[in-house]
Amino acid sequence: MYQSSELSKFFWVSMSIAYAFCFSALYTYTTIPEHTLELNNTDQIIITMKLAIVRLVIVAIALLTYPVILFKFFEYAKYFTVALTAWAITIYIDDNFVLLGIIQYPESALISLVQLVHPILIASLLWMSIELIFLTTAKD
Amino acid sequence: MKNKNINNLELSTILGHTDEHINEKSYVFQSSSFKLIFSFINLYAFIIIALFFLVKGNLIEGINWDFLDQGYLSVLNTRSILVSILVISLNISIYFNYGFKYVCLVLLVFMINGAIDNATLFSNNMHLIDRPYFAIFNVTRPLFIIALFWVFIIHKDKKKSPKKV
Repeated sequence: MYQSSELSKFFWVSMSIAYAFCFSALYTYTTIPEHTLELNNTDQIIITMKLAIVRLVIVAIALLTYPVILFKFFEYAKYFTVALTAWAITIYIDDNFVLLGIIQYPESALISLVQLVHPILIASLLWMSIELIFLTTAKD
Repeated sequence: MKNKNINNLELSTILGHTDEHINEKSYVFQSSSFKLIFSFINLYAFIIIALFFLVKGNLIEGINWDFLDQGYLSVLNTRSILVSILVISLNISIYFNYGFKYVCLVLLVFMINGAIDNATLFSNNMHLIDRPYFAIFNVTRPLFIIALFWVFIIHKDKKKSPKKV
């Protein structure tokens, strides 16, 4: 039987980075000044903010659920982490390749920063997924 | 003269085969419901991708190109390519019985994310009567998601050794 205490310190560092990113994204999108939205009140920005709110709700649920799964249901943590990694990659592909001409984020330095460091979140989640998969596979 | 008291295991030992070699032939039996749902997933993906290429090639009448030019065609294009890559990966993983659950999970997340995106971005343009070809993507998507979730749960990845005679 394996436990979360067997995880390396790189896992915990990666998890901290992922949490820091998610909290900064939550802070950024919930504290956008209203005048920023009013100045650029185009349809594209409205639907983009709608999509961002839906995503943030899912992020908030994941942030609350992840520690419970990691400490109480460790055998399922790898599947949950893989799902979150896949979702982070899908969002990145969507924003940069699929929905390129459809969505438009409001002009804000913080939003640009969050978009810029998105690959770091993906790298952190990838490390967590790989470590969890190999830890459980080696034990089996 | 053949000695009937020598069994298969002893014969394997005499011939230099060890248990390790015998275990290489171990196999996985998936249930018939798994096979049925997996066939449905492949068929669904094939039909949806074929339908997309028919629409893209302007082989179906009654398509509203104004709507497509708003960017929906490029979204469909990229998503169809990604779905086909993931479905091919799913088939490869089931053939080699390696990492099936992970690939299935990735495809499941991809489909749910696509459903959320479509519901948020194109909900005003998705009327079943006006655009039947596009609405069919959204209407039938829950079936595909349920099927993926089902195969994820019922898939057996532990190998069983064949019965020794």
